[in-house]
Amino acid sequence: MSRYIRRRLVTAIPVFFGITLLVFLLMDLAPGSAAALAGEGAAGAQDQALVEQRLGLDQPFPVRYLSWLADLFRGDLGESVYFGAPVSRLIAQRLGPTLLLVGTGVLLAVVVAVPLGVLAAWRPRSRWDSLSNLFTVAGSAVPGFFLSLAAIYLFAVKLQWLPASGMYDGGGQGSLPDLLRHLALPAAVVGLTNVGGILKQVRTACLEVMGEDYIMTARAKGLGEGAVVIRHCLRTALIPVLTAVLTHIPHLLGGSVVVERIFGWPGMGSLLFSAINGRDHTVVMGVTVVMALAVLATGILLDLVYGLVDARVGYGRV
Amino acid sequence: MRRSALAAALALTFTLLAGCGGGGQSAGSADPAEPVVVRYGISNAWDQLMPYNSVSGSNYARIVYDKIYDRLAYVHADGTLSPRAAESWESADGGYAVLFHLDPEAAFHDGAPVTAEHWVETIRLMTDPACPMLGRATFSVLTGTDENGAALPGEEPGAEAVDAHTLKLTFKDPTAPEDFLLDKNRELYVLPTHLLEGVDPAEVLDLDLWDAPIGSGPCVFVEQLPGSRLTLAANEDYQLGAPGFDQLTITVMDKANLLPAMISGDLDYYAFGGSVSAEDRAAAEQNGLEVEEGTVPNTFFELMLNGERIPDARIRRAIELALDKELLCQQATGGQGSVTYSSISPASPYAGWAAEGEGRDLEEATALLEEAGYDGRTYVLACTSNRSGLAALIQQNLAEAGISLSIQTVDSATMFSGMADGVYDMGIASHTPGALPLWFVESRFAENNNIFHVQDLEPYAALIDAIQSASSQEEKGPLVGELEALLAQERPFIPLWFGRGLHVQSPTVENIDYASSSFSNENVWEWVKH
Amino acid sequence: MGEYKRVWARLRKDRRAVISLWILAAELLCVLVLPVLMGLEPNVTDRAAGFWAPPSPAHWLGTDDVGRDVLARLLYGGRTSLLVGFASAFISVGLGILLGLLAGYRRGPWEFWIMRLADVFQSFPNIVLVLCMVSLVGPSVGNIILVTGGLGWPSVARMIYGNALTVRDKEFVLAARALGARHRTILWRNILPNAVSPAWASMAQRVGRAILSESSLSFLGVGISTPQASWGNLMRSASQLSVLTGRPWIWLPPGLLIVLTVVCLQLVGEGLRDAMDPRGRRYFSS
Repeated sequence: MSRYIRRRLVTAIPVFFGITLLVFLLMDLAPGSAAALAGEGAAGAQDQALVEQRLGLDQPFPVRYLSWLADLFRGDLGESVYFGAPVSRLIAQRLGPTLLLVGTGVLLAVVVAVPLGVLAAWRPRSRWDSLSNLFTVAGSAVPGFFLSLAAIYLFAVKLQWLPASGMYDGGGQGSLPDLLRHLALPAAVVGLTNVGGILKQVRTACLEVMGEDYIMTARAKGLGEGAVVIRHCLRTALIPVLTAVLTHIPHLLGGSVVVERIFGWPGMGSLLFSAINGRDHTVVMGVTVVMALAVLATGILLDLVYGLVDARVGYGRV
Repeated sequence: MRRSALAAALALTFTLLAGCGGGGQSAGSADPAEPVVVRYGISNAWDQLMPYNSVSGSNYARIVYDKIYDRLAYVHADGTLSPRAAESWESADGGYAVLFHLDPEAAFHDGAPVTAEHWVETIRLMTDPACPMLGRATFSVLTGTDENGAALPGEEPGAEAVDAHTLKLTFKDPTAPEDFLLDKNRELYVLPTHLLEGVDPAEVLDLDLWDAPIGSGPCVFVEQLPGSRLTLAANEDYQLGAPGFDQLTITVMDKANLLPAMISGDLDYYAFGGSVSAEDRAAAEQNGLEVEEGTVPNTFFELMLNGERIPDARIRRAIELALDKELLCQQATGGQGSVTYSSISPASPYAGWAAEGEGRDLEEATALLEEAGYDGRTYVLACTSNRSGLAALIQQNLAEAGISLSIQTVDSATMFSGMADGVYDMGIASHTPGALPLWFVESRFAENNNIFHVQDLEPYAALIDAIQSASSQEEKGPLVGELEALLAQERPFIPLWFGRGLHVQSPTVENIDYASSSFSNENVWEWVKH
Repeated sequence: MGEYKRVWARLRKDRRAVISLWILAAELLCVLVLPVLMGLEPNVTDRAAGFWAPPSPAHWLGTDDVGRDVLARLLYGGRTSLLVGFASAFISVGLGILLGLLAGYRRGPWEFWIMRLADVFQSFPNIVLVLCMVSLVGPSVGNIILVTGGLGWPSVARMIYGNALTVRDKEFVLAARALGARHRTILWRNILPNAVSPAWASMAQRVGRAILSESSLSFLGVGISTPQASWGNLMRSASQLSVLTGRPWIWLPPGLLIVLTVVCLQLVGEGLRDAMDPRGRRYFSS
């Protein structure tokens, strides 16, 4: 067991370096620093040199990479040229809203996908099955930005039921109902774009279970259909659902860029997008590296949990 | 375990739905004890709250500084001025200096009164070469500074406190007070220098003060989420009167969402001036919002040219002749603009001296191209993605004259730096026009910012100098005319049109001066929300 | 080749996949032939019609913000979007097959480093890397194809790798190796056909995903740049409230076509998958 854990961690090391190197390389190649942004040619050459010196851009590549990495280990992601604030603080401020949005979105997706997937598997080619197909199509074939715009038009402009943007009605705080009202539309969009993937997993898993002998036996024993579905199907479906949700994390975080941008949600995605536009390289590096490392960590954790749950797995997968 | 998780999930969903349903009714009702909050939308983020160190130098940052920090005057859209930190101003020293009589009522948010010494100290600190500031170019007009606005060794910048409430600024060239304010007011803020005493100039930027800034503007900083949200409180003691609201929250959101948010009642106002495109006007009106037509030009569009890549002035003139400016202007402004052949605003007192043109002339254009021996090369036009329609029209216009063009859509920073570096041959840019005749030309024909890559700057520099040192409008006029003639002959850039704004009126806040918002200031102290 | 015939025969029995294939073929035919037949010009302003003209006999879907025919742009945009979709899927699958086979057959350091590289790329949210890279290299059709294609290989590689692992220990491969066949021959003759067939199924879905990515990039302002039309940048105009509410003929057709195309591709993909592996789903983890 400990050997398995050790090997899993050892494989993570090159991946860690790969991630950091890739991020650093990308930003190093990126043209123009934030100084160039000082639009309409207002900033002179002197300002540019000043900003470059502040960023330490006059050092050779390996030196810059290693010092960035050393800072990273200390939790120091550098300072945003644009906001003049530490990147780690900016990210810390944005992490909560993103987790809230993505978490609620996933929860909504699971709440819809699990019962629907089970029902669809229970009665293939029924109305439930068609409904689940509809969800899959709506979520995975309609661009997220379009769902967002349509939702804003319908619920905020036409019906005026829900607010179109922001996190609270006024300022940085508000009541819980206020937060939930603001959360409703973006979370619904995130949820809808992820229902399809989870639904497919649940349906497939349940379909397989339905064909198993013990289900036949249970049915033959006169166990009610409801009990069969709930006790056997749902239970078996949980592991694939968990896997589906966890392996969806990168996709979820990525999808949040568009949704956060449109809904003015103060999360990592909107921070990243404005940083890319503003050439705020330290922020782009910080956000991407944090996202990637979070994914890496989740992956390791997932494997370790599987290893614990099913010690027989051994270390077959690489 | 699983069932409880599922139950929790269901419970949360119901709360959510209940919250949504219930919120619909409660949104409109205002509790008298609740603070009156003006919700303000903006499409791009401001950067740091230290007003002299804005990396972006954008209007998005300026409009935020405008709330927290005080400026000398308030600039109206029509180019007139009214008092703000200064009650009045007068010319002195034969036009080489201006005396500003400061409002004795003005005070910082910590209670300290604003004195002339604060202004002088601010300028002294910002021009100190040891202080690593980005925004000091503003001060290069003062005596005792170099062309970047840094104080010359052994000299003091031309700012002096005559008495506690009289500030005297001394210039390198004779400058009328109004001209100075129209040009520099939006860059000039007073800092709480009484909090900076004894601080090493090199470390001013590192102070915690800028995380929770103290200014003397109409709003007081409360908190912010950088890049997303800023909460301000009304400054009850503002010398021009307390704003008619308790709080102002500025939220960054996608441009596409500003108007919908206003319609749905999430916003009371959005920057700049609730501006709306001609197409969206009908959508706003259908949803019960009023739209006001601006009367004063608030945008100036130009086609930037690269004089090094297009060295022949005849080709540059041919490009102008090939453009159907009327059509382009119609496309971009939906009828809210007028075609121009000069960068001088039609609202400017110098409008009479502006160059004029005859409109599109394809024959003349082809003749000029032939004469200049245009080799059929393809020019590269850079533009931002929201101007891509315009670029496509320009491409068709030029193709009709036989000039081929390829379009590159980039972000605006890339476009400007690409033009400066000579990567692109043309670029579409827009600016907020000023009332002064040199608002556009002056900074673009300088050795350190030759964005049009003009080979010989000398004739321009000579005329610009002459205009600057002329003391009266009568004297300046003919010189402006001469410069305009030179520009029309050489065509280093092609003026396209001046556009007037359409402003969506706030249904909830009164007394907003919409038009002046484009000039980077807003009269928030006069806003009233019920 | 007998195997492919069998797959085809099975696929033909899948009604949904067959209908989807017909729809896709019709779409392809439309975007390739219709513009020529109707003499449509996607980049020419019709001054008589003006900007934002509503649908009329001259312009079936009206004109856009610069007075260009929207139908023409829809069809030419279809060419662009389908090109981006197919070309980038082709790159992803090609790279994925190559690297997956290398990792699964050569094993050792090849296996380790290729799989680690896949881990690195899969750690990033796809759109985030695409956004960073496109803003780096600039938004042209070629660049978008290269970036979305170049970043899509890891999931394909992982699948091929898994299959290659299974196949390489099969008797016929062991036999070939015992007979002294060279690596390249074994890879080409024995492993490739057996390990790669599922890649075709995933290719269909990758095309759909690339079309969606292109539209998201267009929305964020870093997609296909004008004057070239794509379904993504046509839909982008819906971000203008007046277009979204008052001119559905501009954004609805590209929107419906995107959805239709992606759904059909998914169904074809599923059909192919079932046709290739009728008994179970052992090759597929996703």
